[in-house]
Amino acid sequence: MKKMMLSTVALGALAGAAIADEVRVYNWSDYIDEDLLTKFEEETGIDLIYDVYDSNEVLETKMLAGGSGYDVVVPSNDFLQRQISAGVYQKLDASKLPNKVNMWDTIEARTSAFDPDNAYSINYMWGTTGIGANVLKVEEFLGPDTPLDSLDLIFNPENMEKLQDCGVHFLDAPTEMIPAALQYIGQDPNSQDPDVLAMAEPILAGVAPYVQKFHSSEYINALANGDICVAFGFSGDILQARDRAAEAENGVEIVYNPVSEGSLMWFDQMAIPADAPNVDNAHAFLNFMMDAQNMAAASNYVYYANGNLASQEFLVEDVIGDPAIYPNGATLEKLYTKSPYPAKVQRTVTRMWTKIKSGT
Amino acid sequence: MADTVFAPWDDPDQKPLIRFRNVTKRFGDFTAIDDLTLDIFEQEFFALLGPSGCGKTTMMRMLAGFENPTEGRIELAGNDIAGVPPNKRAVNMMFQSYALFPHLSIWDNIAFGLRRESSDKAAISARVEEMLKLTRLEKFAKRKPHQISGGQRQRVALARSLAKAPKLLLLDEPLGALDAKLREATQFELMDIQEKTGTTFVIVTHDQEEAMTVASRVAVMDEGRIMQVATPEQIYEAPQSVYVADFIGDVNIIRGSATAVGPDRYQIAWAEGRDPVHAVSTRPFSDGQECHLAIRPEKVSIHAEHPAADNAVQGKVLDIAYLGNLSTYHVELPTGEIIKAQVANTRRISRRAFTWEDPVWISWTETAGVLLDQ
Amino acid sequence: MKRAFLIAVPYVWLLALFLIPFAVVFKISLSDIELAIPPYTPTMKDGLWTMLSQLDFENFIFLTQDDLYWKAYLSSLQIALISTVLTLMVGYPMAYAMARAPEQWRPTLLMLVILPFWTSFLIRVYAWIGILSNEGFLNQFLLWIGIIDTPLTVLNTNTAVYIGIVYTYLPFMILPIYSALDRLDGSLIEAAEDLGCSRLKAFWLVTIPLSKNGIIAGCFLVFIPALGEFVIPSLLGGSGTLMIGKVLFEEFFSNRDWPVASAVAVILLLILIVPIVLFQRNEQKQAEAEK
Repeated sequence: MKKMMLSTVALGALAGAAIADEVRVYNWSDYIDEDLLTKFEEETGIDLIYDVYDSNEVLETKMLAGGSGYDVVVPSNDFLQRQISAGVYQKLDASKLPNKVNMWDTIEARTSAFDPDNAYSINYMWGTTGIGANVLKVEEFLGPDTPLDSLDLIFNPENMEKLQDCGVHFLDAPTEMIPAALQYIGQDPNSQDPDVLAMAEPILAGVAPYVQKFHSSEYINALANGDICVAFGFSGDILQARDRAAEAENGVEIVYNPVSEGSLMWFDQMAIPADAPNVDNAHAFLNFMMDAQNMAAASNYVYYANGNLASQEFLVEDVIGDPAIYPNGATLEKLYTKSPYPAKVQRTVTRMWTKIKSGT
Repeated sequence: MADTVFAPWDDPDQKPLIRFRNVTKRFGDFTAIDDLTLDIFEQEFFALLGPSGCGKTTMMRMLAGFENPTEGRIELAGNDIAGVPPNKRAVNMMFQSYALFPHLSIWDNIAFGLRRESSDKAAISARVEEMLKLTRLEKFAKRKPHQISGGQRQRVALARSLAKAPKLLLLDEPLGALDAKLREATQFELMDIQEKTGTTFVIVTHDQEEAMTVASRVAVMDEGRIMQVATPEQIYEAPQSVYVADFIGDVNIIRGSATAVGPDRYQIAWAEGRDPVHAVSTRPFSDGQECHLAIRPEKVSIHAEHPAADNAVQGKVLDIAYLGNLSTYHVELPTGEIIKAQVANTRRISRRAFTWEDPVWISWTETAGVLLDQ
Repeated sequence: MKRAFLIAVPYVWLLALFLIPFAVVFKISLSDIELAIPPYTPTMKDGLWTMLSQLDFENFIFLTQDDLYWKAYLSSLQIALISTVLTLMVGYPMAYAMARAPEQWRPTLLMLVILPFWTSFLIRVYAWIGILSNEGFLNQFLLWIGIIDTPLTVLNTNTAVYIGIVYTYLPFMILPIYSALDRLDGSLIEAAEDLGCSRLKAFWLVTIPLSKNGIIAGCFLVFIPALGEFVIPSLLGGSGTLMIGKVLFEEFFSNRDWPVASAVAVILLLILIVPIVLFQRNEQKQAEAEK
């Protein structure tokens, strides 16, 4: 009789645990060392349910529709900022995040531009938007000593005309390409003034005919296979292409460079949706990820820079020593961030982008 | 008056419209037509009769141009037509399924063939009207095939195949889809139209009654060979083989051995301890040769007493098939053989002379049967 | 019966879950953009009456003020139309060959036509990237046999979009045409030849008209989804490929303007209603004729 009661209690506790002790994380695909997930479950006893997505738009649609059931999500900075305004996220409870002391003030200063006081999010990974190039092919088409880190490579029609048969991909993202074009002509890349934004149009339209494709992920394969010469894209993606080409030993050598004129920085931020069912566990997950060794393990796996200063001593040389991942002082200084456009400006920008791409 | 009898096949001066000369047709290992020779004359209404698989449809398809002979030649009006495609032959066919174009009106169905060779709208229109009138379809010209009855469809198919005034019209089981009453009426209509248009008709059928009714000559086929070609009367009255005798109408066959008893007269020993029967035959038989005496049931009479007749046999009534106008008595002989005797029902049933199990005599004359060797 | 089934599969898929989603989308198209959850206003939270009173046609008016939209609709219509004709040209001979094939082969052939549906649509479209790219199989093959000296640029052009659409929707064209041809009585062709038609003429005067309903059904089943196609133009098409599906995507995801995106979708549906109604009528007529 007693035994039976015990088991009933145990059962009840288990049932309770099944509801209380879980956390649902929604992150980018291929973006974490899976050993960390097991480690988290072992250390905390919380069930971790881990789902992935592959575009900010998909995440945003779920967030704006509401009731996603996720406890932790990882939007990029400008998406985060807009979603905060929409009331998608809740403020973090600092008392539950003792590891926050590990964070890197340099990065926190930058992220506070779109998440004031870093009240809603912590940085997971960050990187830059820059130029990926097939070294040998660019040399073949443009000659040796062509700077591979200057916007002149992709915004000067003379260069682009020569490169067109070799293949150039641009991100299909006006919010990335327009600031770069403004940077190229010496305007404020973060401008939200429609008149300033309009100045980017002739630059982009001038080279658009030579762009083989506007796409935000295909350049990874295209670069790695040697199908194209140049891609303007995200640091992590181009580094992935570089590593794939190296592994394939197909004679393709890819380099990534942040833009010498100044690269746009991007940040993937961990945040907790306002309607998250397991808020405490979500905090536990964030705190776990802010542990110096855990964060270092994550970076060592995905080859991205993180916003965790304490983790740096645990990073492997391939990561911390690669200026493409952790830019050196001067380049780091020149990096800039961009705030999201208000809805009306966004519409203008999208429209301009369609016109640049299709001529309509 | 002899000239009015239509019998070009008996006239050595007549040139046949169609000649099959030693035609063989094989499909793989299967021989559909086996070394067949046949003449068909102009204005004939010629029937190819046989069970399914006998090769009659293959013959027709070779005439239409859908098949070519493997060996031998087929001539149409003196010309070898092998290799001439169907659309270049002055031959039209009425399909068993009628093959009316479901997307076209009756009018357009009939005009279909005419439009292929002429663009003269007035002439086409006149010809279509003529065909509609011939087949009494004027009222239905605007309808689609699925909006008319089976009999009307049959007439459309006929009108369509006649519209181009072909030298030769092929009819593949033209009445097969019609019910018995309509079939009979249509048979006469076909003959009427054939006579009016003077077209040579070749009809394929498995229905011997139909063949006998419509045709000027009938070819009975079996396994790719022609068993007999003759007028319906000859086929019926003077079959040349047991197969033909059996295939056409009802027949009693008595097997035995022949012994000549006079010029063209034979006696046939057919059963141990029974009196032989007698028959007249122009076909010669040697003494003791195996023979078959084929007698049509209507030529056998039935009696209560021993009749004074050339041949009389006793038996008992086993079964009576009442057909209305006729009754067929199945009489079992003591030897176990069954002979059918057909009697016209000129009296009411209650007055009928015989009933089951009655002992009876059956008789027939010497000339009633045909003596056959195979 | 077989034919009814073959038609019903894509047909049910096309129409079954149509009305309720449409009502929702239509309501959103009358709303205004707002940075909130959900990203438009008014909603049912405001109460039914308030919500209804705040709906307006502003977004539809907006669509008339920028030539992008009608150009995109027109260009989509053009691409869908050309693709449909191309699919017909490729699909008809295939359906014809299948219907003429020996009886015992037909189930296998039918299976082969349906087989591509067993793998993901995306994977199949990606496979075309591998075939059509400058370094792809097609170019390597053509270079190898010496027809061309420099690789053809097919990927990222409208040609690639046509190839993708024709490939993807081919079964929707083949199946209805096949079922029409399968029932075609062979003696009708013989009758036509017998009445003086050459083979070609018989095909034109009998086979084509009698497979008309299959052709019409197939064309609608290709045209309707091709008009709103998004994945194929974005994966295989170039930046100049203007299609309403892409515009819709941008309204929804780049501008986050659900109301305008919904308005674009509603108009797309209105454009599609014409062919859908025609399609339906064709099917009805067919059903009546079969009775």
